[in-house]
Amino acid sequence: MHRLLVSLLIFPALLAAAPALPGDHAQRMERGLKSFQQEVAALLKKNCLRCHGGEKVKSDFDMATREDLLRGGSHGSVVVPFDAKSSVLVEQINHAKEPHMPDDQPKLSAEAIAKITAWINDGAPYAEPLVAGKKPKRDASVVTNEDRQWWSFQPLKKVNAKSIDELLLKNAKGMTFNPPADQATLVRRLYLDLTGLPPPETSDTSDLSVLTDRLLASPKYGERWARHWLDVARFAESTGFEQDYDRPFAFHYRDFVIKALNMDMPYDQFVKWQLAGDEYEPQNPLALAATGFLGAGVFPSQITANEVERTRYDAMDDMLSTTGGAMLGLTVGCARCHDHKFDPLPSRDYYQMLSTFTTTTRSNVDVWPDRVTSAITTVAKDKSTPLQAGATRMMICGEGYDPIVMHTQGGPFFDKTYLLKRGSPDMKDGEVQQGFLQVLSKPGYEKRWQWQPPAGAKFSGRRRSLSNWITDVDQGAGALLARVIVNRLWQHHFGTGIVATPNDFGKSGTPPSQPELLDWLAGRLIANGWQLKPLHRMILSSQAYRQSTVRSATKEAADPANALFMRRVPQRLEAEAIRDSMLAVSGTLDETMFGPGTRDENSRRRSIYFTIKRSLLMGSMVAFDLPEPLVSQGSRPTTTVAPQALILMNSPQARTWAEGLARRIASAGDVKQQIIRAYTICFHRAPNANELAEGAAFLQQGGTPADYCQVLLSLNEMVYVN
Amino acid sequence: MNRMNPETLHTGLSRRHFLSRTSTGIGAAALASLLNPRLFAATQTPHFAPKAKRIIWLTQAGAPSQLDLFDYKPGLAPQFDKDLPGSVRGEQRLTGMTAGQKRFPIAPSVFKFQQHGQSGLWLSELLPQTAKFADDLCVIRSLHTEAINHDPAMTLLQTGHQIGGRPSFGAWASYGLGSENSDLPAFVAMISRPSGPTNAQPLHERMWGSGFLPSRYQGVRFSSGKDPVLFLSNPPGITSTRRRAMLDDVAALNRLKFTEYQDPETQARIDQYEMAFRMQSAVPELADLSKEPASIFERYGPESKKPGTYAANCILARRLAERGVRFIQLYHRGWDQHNNLPSGIRSQCYDTDQPTAALLGELKERGMLEDTLVIWGGEFGRSVYSQGTLTKDNYGRDHHPRCYSVWMAGAGVKGGHVFGETDDFSYNIVKDPVHIHDLNATALHLLGIDHLRLTYRFQGRDYRLTDVHGEVVKGILA
Repeated sequence: MHRLLVSLLIFPALLAAAPALPGDHAQRMERGLKSFQQEVAALLKKNCLRCHGGEKVKSDFDMATREDLLRGGSHGSVVVPFDAKSSVLVEQINHAKEPHMPDDQPKLSAEAIAKITAWINDGAPYAEPLVAGKKPKRDASVVTNEDRQWWSFQPLKKVNAKSIDELLLKNAKGMTFNPPADQATLVRRLYLDLTGLPPPETSDTSDLSVLTDRLLASPKYGERWARHWLDVARFAESTGFEQDYDRPFAFHYRDFVIKALNMDMPYDQFVKWQLAGDEYEPQNPLALAATGFLGAGVFPSQITANEVERTRYDAMDDMLSTTGGAMLGLTVGCARCHDHKFDPLPSRDYYQMLSTFTTTTRSNVDVWPDRVTSAITTVAKDKSTPLQAGATRMMICGEGYDPIVMHTQGGPFFDKTYLLKRGSPDMKDGEVQQGFLQVLSKPGYEKRWQWQPPAGAKFSGRRRSLSNWITDVDQGAGALLARVIVNRLWQHHFGTGIVATPNDFGKSGTPPSQPELLDWLAGRLIANGWQLKPLHRMILSSQAYRQSTVRSATKEAADPANALFMRRVPQRLEAEAIRDSMLAVSGTLDETMFGPGTRDENSRRRSIYFTIKRSLLMGSMVAFDLPEPLVSQGSRPTTTVAPQALILMNSPQARTWAEGLARRIASAGDVKQQIIRAYTICFHRAPNANELAEGAAFLQQGGTPADYCQVLLSLNEMVYVN
Repeated sequence: MNRMNPETLHTGLSRRHFLSRTSTGIGAAALASLLNPRLFAATQTPHFAPKAKRIIWLTQAGAPSQLDLFDYKPGLAPQFDKDLPGSVRGEQRLTGMTAGQKRFPIAPSVFKFQQHGQSGLWLSELLPQTAKFADDLCVIRSLHTEAINHDPAMTLLQTGHQIGGRPSFGAWASYGLGSENSDLPAFVAMISRPSGPTNAQPLHERMWGSGFLPSRYQGVRFSSGKDPVLFLSNPPGITSTRRRAMLDDVAALNRLKFTEYQDPETQARIDQYEMAFRMQSAVPELADLSKEPASIFERYGPESKKPGTYAANCILARRLAERGVRFIQLYHRGWDQHNNLPSGIRSQCYDTDQPTAALLGELKERGMLEDTLVIWGGEFGRSVYSQGTLTKDNYGRDHHPRCYSVWMAGAGVKGGHVFGETDDFSYNIVKDPVHIHDLNATALHLLGIDHLRLTYRFQGRDYRLTDVHGEVVKGILA
């Protein structure tokens, strides 16, 4: 029994359906391609092509291109790639099935049959059509109306509803919400959810909607929610790879995200500025800082001459893939080497969109009240130019400023972007012009998105054009953009998104558990002028949000994944909120906002101000599941491992926090009063009789107040939100 | 706030959901296994009978020169300072460091090679101690990689991919096989610095990270200071008794909540505090070398008494192996000899040769080499042509990914064996190429794991250590 259980737990993947492609498909295709070129193409041309794609197309079966070969003929499938056993063609050439093939010809030699069979088992790849220049009937690089039927590519559905609760209850299969949590629990939930800090000891919390407004208006809201976006933006302040040079001026992007959220910048503008802030407002430091989004990815050093081009395509891919995952929930990067296997994202679309970034580079600029200048800096600090009085130096990612120089044997970019076969710069297939994803573009509107920069501008206008398309709700990608962000909001408020795969709204992702609700929320976002705070308010005032976490066997059996949201599951705080909460209850939190970060574990500032160096992530953060900032991350894992316990029990910081809390409760009165005060500070509730007795016993048996406080900080209740 | 990784939610059942799915019956049984961590940590059934119960991977970071250690090329001596024929070099990628060189002069090794053991294995004079175990070594001379810089190459070696984000070998192994000792992590990593004045490349956490696997499979890095594990000692002033009292109080208060909410995560956390407590006593016991007899330190050499050296880590590796830790990874840095190779590599071999041999010897004497796989090697090889100035007794070598040598010893591999062959310049492979993925597939195979079947679904795709590649190298299996 245990063994079975444990293997189920350890091997969750075994429970999943097998993938359609064999794991070694790339390797086999490569082998098959060689065989095609050396023998198989000639065999097929000589023995099959005349009737099937050459002079005639009998039984509607055309072998001239791989696409049509795999499509089969009027009798159905003929060749199943990677599976000769299931391929009718193999039976027919073996004369095991009528009609024998080749028709009216002698049987093929055993050697020829073996070669064709092996080639099919290797995926039946073609190096070129058997008839020169012939195009398949159905071209995978063309997006069809059928492709557009996938739910996330559809326009937003008009949903008539008055509230979140109404929509959820409609699908609840007869269940109802859990009763509301008690007031104290809700207050703690709201504080931690919106600000990442526990409620202060004294605060007027009688009216939850007033409290919600106050918390949304608090600058701490931005510090909390910016961290969610920084995961999505793979934000870090170093270059990665072995040198992992610092990016000392990259923190401005983090500050931009905090400021934008606090001022409730409309989300469409938030997106536009991150893609093209310098093209919108070239003199506005905040708009410039926003472009740090594009530049936050890894970039190598020691680039040899023959690596320059590949590295440049890698860098542009990082910008595009992050944009695709973060903003559109699409795995656009998959189309770099071939048309996307699951989603209608042809390779050509990828490269056309990639060309948006042809001349985009990271630059350090000095920003003055009245002008912006390039700050010529290199990765080696000794060569950097000193900062002049009155200027702020920031890293941006735009066009027209001097690029940051790495150790490289090439220039910062190439003037043109090409379509690359198999993603290889050695296999160029023509220059591409900027374009967007066909499946999210109404034909005929391309001109509408294109933006011509004013004469003499430093930039090409291409990124602003991209931002026009991505925010265009009716003709472009705007509907998906809205769905993806409202899903992220929902996910952070409830623990799971309506779409459980926040960075994949494509066919390999999970479909929405509540499609109407998702579209309704997205519609409301747009109707609110893309402002996020009204949406937060709507979610936070719903019955769905305010439910208790009381468990019910019936509900858990009926809806194990809680896709219907008819109950609430306790959620563990993230690394940052755990540490920030400890600092807050210890009374030692330094609330200074913005500016350069630090890597000092003894810092008393909020954790969002830790400098993120890719090779040296903060140990206390990593232990609590801070992700490596390499690619866009839509959600974090939640682990419970021993090193976390060691940090809370033995780190000097934890001890300092415990001592701080002990100082705070010292003045409360007798032991009982001190325990009550500690519980109020930590958990926003009074201890029950058992807890009081346990605490009193601990202290009477020689435990110091600091020991006791450290016990409280180590409790599950400190890191979980009910 | 997050409940768990929704990326795995739609396919895999998380433990939490698995438990919450049924609050009686099977869920209760699972809860029982959670309450007893030994059950949860029980060894998992492998795919087939394993030859190796554990791996000790002696990772030589910086890329040791195969030409000066393992790949004997007697024909090079007369070619001193002649240009490497263009036909040999082909269109090979060069690093920024030699791409600008006008000449590629051949630098024969200054070190003498000799045959050792019954098998007559050729080894360089730099490895006199290791040479005593020649008949236990299986030298692969035809390993190759496509990465040319340290970090991507090491990431490829350890995770099967040049770009970070995938689980490391040890994380895959502990995911697949679980732990044999509930008081210690299943996967331990240790890093040593060279004693000589050599440039040591940094090593990222991801080399022993769990990537997208749950983080309890990640390697725990033992550091070289007073605490082999971060925050393993009680803070100053906290005695063990007080710590026990605090832990009991944490457990008691957590249990009060558990009774109220029946949340299995609460129980999991109680268990992890207990594990942390057990580690607090198990790890110092493990790391306390004071009871090792003097003869052991003599055997491992003069550096072995200094905590954090490769030699000291080799002793720790043996002790970890004895205690059932499944995957023990040592990194010794400083093999990046772009110039002054002869003196640099001498210093590196001073650091590593004797302790490596001592470890092999101890494992053998204790009968543990039979079920321990030892792997020695780096992330790529080094070039036959000199980087920088070439003289009769000094030269440097650039990175060389097209072929290099590693050795394996112990469980399930042929001893006294050479696999694969390179050309006269150790520049190209002429026989039996072994890719990094093949090496990893083979090591997993020896652990009883089919590398094709050890998969984890992430972002809609099944991932494995060997990506979409890898074949078990049958020719090295005993």
